[in-house]
Amino acid sequence: MRKLNVTVNGRPIEVVADEQQAVLLDIVREDLGLTGTKQSCDRKGQCGTCMVLVDGKAVLSCITRAGSLDGAEVTTIEGLGTPDRPNLVQQAFVLAGAVQCGFCIPGMIVTAEELLRTNDDPTRDEVKRALRRNLCRCTGYVKVIDAVQLAGRFLRGEVTPAELMPAEDAPPIGTSFPRPSAMAKATGTARFGADIRMPGALEIAVVRSPHAHAWIRGIDTALAETMPGVAGVMTARDIRGTNRLKYQVADRPILCDTKVRTLGDAVAIVAAETKAQAMAAAEAVRVDYEPIAVLGSPAAALADGAPRVHEDTPNLCYSQPIIKGDAAAAFAASAVEVTATFATQLVHQAPMEPEVSLAWMEGEGEDAELVVLGRSINIHLHMQTLQEALGFEAIRYEEPFAGGQFGIKVEIITEGIAGAAALHFNRPVRYVPTLAESMLITSKRHPFEVETRLAADADGRLTAMAMDITVDNGAYMSLGRVIVNRALHMLTSSYLVPNLAVTSRLVYTNNPWGSAARGAGPPQTHFALECAVDMLAEKMGIDPLEFRRRNSLRPGEAKATGHVVTEWPFPALCDAIEPAYRAALCDAAAAGTEGVVRRGVGLGAAAFGIAMPGDKSIGFVELDPDDGVTVYMAAGDPGEGNDSMISQLVASVLDLQPGRVRLRTRSTADTAASGPVSGSRATYMLGGAAVDAAQHLREAMDVVGARTYEAFVMAGVPIRYQGRRSTLETAPLDPVTGLGPSFEVQVFSVQMAEVEVNIETGETRVLKITSAADPGRIIHPGNVEGQLHGGMDMGIGFALREEYVPGKSRDWITFKFPSIRYATEMETILVETPRELGTLGSVGIGEMAMVSTAPAIANAIRHATGAVVGRLPATPERVRAALAAVPAREPELAGSAG
Amino acid sequence: MAETARSRALRTVAGRPVYFDDEGFFWDPDDWSDEAAEALAREVGIDRLDEVQWRVLRFMRAHYAHHGRSPMNRELRVGTGLSLLELERLFPDGIKMGARRLAGLPNPQTCLD
Repeated sequence: MRKLNVTVNGRPIEVVADEQQAVLLDIVREDLGLTGTKQSCDRKGQCGTCMVLVDGKAVLSCITRAGSLDGAEVTTIEGLGTPDRPNLVQQAFVLAGAVQCGFCIPGMIVTAEELLRTNDDPTRDEVKRALRRNLCRCTGYVKVIDAVQLAGRFLRGEVTPAELMPAEDAPPIGTSFPRPSAMAKATGTARFGADIRMPGALEIAVVRSPHAHAWIRGIDTALAETMPGVAGVMTARDIRGTNRLKYQVADRPILCDTKVRTLGDAVAIVAAETKAQAMAAAEAVRVDYEPIAVLGSPAAALADGAPRVHEDTPNLCYSQPIIKGDAAAAFAASAVEVTATFATQLVHQAPMEPEVSLAWMEGEGEDAELVVLGRSINIHLHMQTLQEALGFEAIRYEEPFAGGQFGIKVEIITEGIAGAAALHFNRPVRYVPTLAESMLITSKRHPFEVETRLAADADGRLTAMAMDITVDNGAYMSLGRVIVNRALHMLTSSYLVPNLAVTSRLVYTNNPWGSAARGAGPPQTHFALECAVDMLAEKMGIDPLEFRRRNSLRPGEAKATGHVVTEWPFPALCDAIEPAYRAALCDAAAAGTEGVVRRGVGLGAAAFGIAMPGDKSIGFVELDPDDGVTVYMAAGDPGEGNDSMISQLVASVLDLQPGRVRLRTRSTADTAASGPVSGSRATYMLGGAAVDAAQHLREAMDVVGARTYEAFVMAGVPIRYQGRRSTLETAPLDPVTGLGPSFEVQVFSVQMAEVEVNIETGETRVLKITSAADPGRIIHPGNVEGQLHGGMDMGIGFALREEYVPGKSRDWITFKFPSIRYATEMETILVETPRELGTLGSVGIGEMAMVSTAPAIANAIRHATGAVVGRLPATPERVRAALAAVPAREPELAGSAG
Repeated sequence: MAETARSRALRTVAGRPVYFDDEGFFWDPDDWSDEAAEALAREVGIDRLDEVQWRVLRFMRAHYAHHGRSPMNRELRVGTGLSLLELERLFPDGIKMGARRLAGLPNPQTCLD
């Protein structure tokens, strides 16, 4: 131990620390409570969220030993500025729209601060080099780089923040107002789960299965319970309720009782005074496992004699066909067809913030309430799920700020553990898993294998499609059926395909369980469809963009499931991207076809459905005493900008400045059960309910003849108004034909990838992605661009690098998280076709942003080299293998040409 | 597979077609009516809802109309003046599966298939 004299944010302090063990991160977060400095990578120096300045130099505080700090001057994000007095870099990040979930932003700003102190006019490459140690999942780094350069302009005096602020009377719709939460995130005052202090709380560690499939024959907790600091150990028998977290099927236990079904399944909870004590005791819990054959793939799970993952259910747990028209006859009559098999991988959604839950009891007797704090994006449903699983009715669910989710938090992950422990031990508890544990215990993107056959007539019009889809569901159902059906609803994407013969099967295995992941089903099937479309176009000698435009669905025609559409502005989107596409083709042609590095251009399109039949939402708007309003609806905002969306929509209806619209969105105690912030439904469903409520208030204002709270009270008129949004039809898909009503509206996309492929190494470098998108009326242009950038970046990772390997993917390096080094040039082309049914004409954007990227890149690789990469990610090894197969695939492609 | 997904099913209640979820909760609270409540009550063995039971159902309806969610037990106690034990005894299936279901309050929205 050693006494250290350190100056932190201008304040001299003395710290006594273990100079060999303690790191700077502990001092700023734990000793000083400066929680603006974050932690994502298990202190491996991989993420940059913990950056602080030490004597003006940006350092990774998680690997900076305390012993080196005597006499040092440390500046954290809190020392750079406050919400009331932000510095210019913080203001630049807010005004440039670089702040989405915000978890990485303090580290980004600290690093940018260091750069700008020595170089106030950095190039984009210089910014990228400076930020090489900072990871971000939301932005694709585009607006982060913009922000640093904008800060440079501020510092050079070229422009001031005030000059860039939207005018107070700017229209609420179509203006990029700073997000309501952005400045709190940029100054480090936004509290994420692990930032919340709970003195005296027990720390949780969980005993997790090292087996992917095994019977539990016994659990011995005796030794662990005697260890220092241990408050107790609990197993499934200590949970009062069903101990099952039910989404569609009640098959996922909080704590496994008889069997473990996938690696990392929870078996016991250890609660202790410190995290280290809890972890040590967890190691001492002895579990007697009897291993069962591991079903590592759908093929293994469907083999004769394979054991069941769930004893009461066949491993083939769901199937749904689509039979439309006469596909066999249409194939026979078609001029040209292609066949190929496409496969997508298991992927982690990779939010920057690790999982976290806190839980405690409030009140006593009949007033006792269990408070669970977590990262949910559907707090009312999760509260109810916990009520049943824990056998305790009085639960309040609250959400702090959440560092990204990308679908992962449609699930209960850590809340069941924390809630069960708080009830059992009757003490406040913190469950803050490591990143490695977070990756182990969370849902993943389902792997798909899609055998595809696509045909067209001599005029280049699609005639028939057959798909045989196998989905690895992993160990638990979760939303498996939803993901399959979403893929089927959007199966033919933007196109008219009159004849379909589709089979799908969802299979339980012992792999990590699949659930929502940005796009949730369609990214997998769009990869197959869009690659096949390009192959067919090439075979017919038709330009791929023209082929897509020619085959566009039109109003009055039916989607895959027979749902007739009334609006379909897809052809105009093809027109919008055409100039960029022609220019890219010229550039690729100019690069030539000789040499080791080949250049290619590829397209991918998407028609992404929003708002399923039977969907509904509810919210309230209340007039406040200061004549502003407050919106009450459960609407988590883990980065998408739902706070902007709701406040600007309501402001538009009421002719208010957005800043006069307050939001209550994070607690089950004071919000309406508005439904999940998932499936890209937030703008359409939640925004729709908020607009409806605001319109009712507006009507009341017209009746009262005034807009003030005082006038309403004087007139005896209610100040609170309910709003609803419901979709029109409620019938499900027909189980035999797969036909039925579908999503109410669509957001459209055409993306273009420009790549270089080294035909010797198989390395693919993305030069640029261009995304043309039509989300309807645009509420906040900056947020739309930000979603597109982040989606494209996620799509690049999905296409080229990312894969979750159970037991091996343990951190951001092993997951191949996209760093700024891979950040590519991105261009967005926004087309604004107001939708008749849209929320003030708008429909949404978030998930669609990544759906088209992977096929665009695969098609660009094929354009560059002729190689068909059918399995993602398109690693150099797979590209080399595909290159080697190029001559061999010609007969297959030509096989059934008419 | 012991339980099915929370899919919708169309039933005729008190002469009207109504969508219910797999747990028997109204899909749309606007489909509820006094007659529907009485019809559902008869299905669980209540010949006719009495004044106290109606007071509970009316409170639940009013709470949902004002808050957009079901009342928590504490709110229910305060709002009805009844203890939890009294509330549980009033309905054969208890508060949630009994009273809330008869009051036509929907389950929280989930992801739809």
